Amino acid sequence: MKIAAQEPIKSRRIRRSEAVILFTVANQLFAIAADSVQEIRSTDSLGAALEIEQQEILKVRHTIERNHRTYFVVNACAHFGLRVVRPTLVLILRQIRVAVLVDKIERMTEISAIHALPRAFIGAECQWYRGLAYVEDQVIPVVSPTGFLTANDFQRLDGAMAEAASHQSLEGAIQI
Amino acid sequence: MSGSDNTNAKSYVLVQIGDRRFAMSAVTVSELAPPVRLHQFPQTSPLVAGVIVRRGRIVPVYDVSRILAGKNSPAHRFYLVASREFDSFSEPSAIPIDGECELVTAPIQPSDANSPNYISGRLTIGEENIEVLDLNALVTSAPAEPNEFGYADPRG
Repeated sequence: MKIAAQEPIKSRRIRRSEAVILFTVANQLFAIAADSVQEIRSTDSLGAALEIEQQEILKVRHTIERNHRTYFVVNACAHFGLRVVRPTLVLILRQIRVAVLVDKIERMTEISAIHALPRAFIGAECQWYRGLAYVEDQVIPVVSPTGFLTANDFQRLDGAMAEAASHQSLEGAIQI
Repeated sequence: MSGSDNTNAKSYVLVQIGDRRFAMSAVTVSELAPPVRLHQFPQTSPLVAGVIVRRGRIVPVYDVSRILAGKNSPAHRFYLVASREFDSFSEPSAIPIDGECELVTAPIQPSDANSPNYISGRLTIGEENIEVLDLNALVTSAPAEPNEFGYADPRG
């Protein structure tokens, strides 16, 4: 049987290029579409983050307010099942009430194609990723912004916040 | 080439996995790839170890040695790339193998009654009985267990 020779990586799909942000979480490299990120901030600047009291979705511990909207802060380590490290940055996403704690921004780059996840993948990664991209001989998962929290997750988190708010107003009324 | 001539004989690729040799139907095998880089990222699919890139395509790698040899595959092994059939779609899929492959032509015989469902038959090559693997049955026979990155429900 003949062994096939090493070959350079090539993409068979040419599509419109897309700007992505490469970021790391627990030393794992990910990409996210640049136009899905509204803002990148240091976690040190998030002094106004509020702790959210709920035990159902453990990857969400805090909320932040931006432009009169409440964003749920998702710990990417917990989301992807990676060992938890102290995040230094938060990606505030556009058009979705999610902010993601990450370790480091590597850089921005352009990708020419996103390859669909092979059918072999049948787990949670099908929600996590839009697909896979080649970036400098490396296969990198392209994160789906909508994969961090489901509609059901939002409902439960909104419910937990509403409950906490009603407790606070009740406590305030008792003090009066 | 080895094996006996027979009108019912078909071609098989013999592969070494751990301490044993297995056969796969040659019509499903597309190439034996060198020990290229295994790309890994967080995921929770049972048996999937990562992906390799072959001929411009992203090919999932199934670490079947956990089932066939009872251990994880060591790094830098060769990959046998074969087609895995889905309903109306086939996908190139790779399994890590140890060392060389051999192409044989031999008639297939029924598997033992107590063989796992991923053994579709056996070949007799000289003194050796070699089990024939059904790739699709093999990669779907794995129990859901955490892999290097994944957990049963990491999103909790």
